[in-house]
Amino acid sequence: MVLLRTIICCIELLVFSIIAGLLGSLTGLGGGTVLVPLLTLFLGIPIAYAAGASLISTIATSSGAASAYIRDRITNVRIGMGLEIATTTGSIVGSLTANYVYTHGLAWIVYVVFGIVILTSIIPTAQRGKYEIPDPRKPDWTTRVFKLYGSYYDDALKMEVKYWGVRWWLGELIMFFAGFISGLLGIGSGALKVLGMDWAMNLPMKVSTTTSNFMIGVTAATGSALYWYFGYIQPMMAAVTAIGVLIGAMSGTKILVRITNKQVRWVFLAILAFLGMEMLLKGLYLDRIITITVATQYLLSIIFTAIVMTILYYRYGVLMAKNEKRTAARGGGNA
Amino acid sequence: MPKWDMDYVIGLTLRYGVIISIALILIGVALFHVKGEALGCGEALIMSPTSPINTTVIPPAYALSRLPNLDPLSFIILGLMVLIATPVLRVALGIASFAMERDWLYVFITAVVFINLMLAIFVLPSIMHLHANAQLLKLLCPSS
Repeated sequence: MVLLRTIICCIELLVFSIIAGLLGSLTGLGGGTVLVPLLTLFLGIPIAYAAGASLISTIATSSGAASAYIRDRITNVRIGMGLEIATTTGSIVGSLTANYVYTHGLAWIVYVVFGIVILTSIIPTAQRGKYEIPDPRKPDWTTRVFKLYGSYYDDALKMEVKYWGVRWWLGELIMFFAGFISGLLGIGSGALKVLGMDWAMNLPMKVSTTTSNFMIGVTAATGSALYWYFGYIQPMMAAVTAIGVLIGAMSGTKILVRITNKQVRWVFLAILAFLGMEMLLKGLYLDRIITITVATQYLLSIIFTAIVMTILYYRYGVLMAKNEKRTAARGGGNA
Repeated sequence: MPKWDMDYVIGLTLRYGVIISIALILIGVALFHVKGEALGCGEALIMSPTSPINTTVIPPAYALSRLPNLDPLSFIILGLMVLIATPVLRVALGIASFAMERDWLYVFITAVVFINLMLAIFVLPSIMHLHANAQLLKLLCPSS
């Protein structure tokens, strides 16, 4: 009887972790961002334990994927390592802040920040339609000093792409913030890292995503070492979720190659919007800023998700598809 | 034929680090299902979502000393430690790799990252007097 109960508990945790890994890799936000809301909202796991388990599983997926990427030589190890100074420092500060927040009974802050982080990372994810190479900017002094040059072979474009990074200091600044969020919430915060490299340093998307993945492992190792001493890692829970998220993330990458219908990602983004809104409302509810029943919270989240997704889908799905068709038609006419 | 350059070694380290740690964790979970207890704690206590059996009550040295007894949590703790150590080893190899290229600026940068990791793993916890409390484990699980 006891054995049966253990297996059911484990399977529940395992299934949720696999879903988190799948959704995380399909949306490109990483397993942790989905795992923490799932565990806290639906399994009643304390957010500190969920964050600890999430950091551990983030190391596993990052190291697993990085070992494959390093052979493709798309990851820029110099840029990644340089920015790691900021992410690891940020992660230390973030983990210490998390400890302060939890020991002072302010866990609601973590929920609210988590909700905001998910909701704000949906927009760039919705925008990201295709991989393209940014317009080159003039190299600045940091490009020279920190040797931010690189090149990789792009399979889709069938050519060697040469690139260089600019504004190293701005990248560092954003990375410190990314590291801080990673330590505070127990996630990889890959979306923020990509923003730092893609927007601030003007690197190609492919380089940003693979280099960000390389950095996530080191950042998460820093955070989880401190989490270990604070007691936010429940070994059995971390063990089951690490296995689950790894399985989910690995199947996610396989599925991603086969998905031909790009519309599917709107469904995943809608799920994320719902989770983000739920976290935000739960945080506000915990602090008694708002007092509404759980059922109303769900209803509000669903309505919110419907509105936001309609706007985003119209803005980035329908309009962009129309534009693409128009350019394609014009291109065809010229040919 | 693979080239035995530094990138190749780093790729291997990452891959085998994850494989070894996941293997250890799987052994631990399997042992737990066979034995139904770990470090003298019962199943219900360990599997509860709000379980007090976290990393503050399990001194790593004690957990590792129980490895020959095939204790489930010993394997899981070792697996988690290997997992955390993998990126650390990767950064250490990065220092060596930049030193071989004689790129001293990046040797320095990578060394700073390594120092940050050491800060988080050893220095800060000892400054803050964060030690695992074995007495608490005895209290929670008297048969340990």
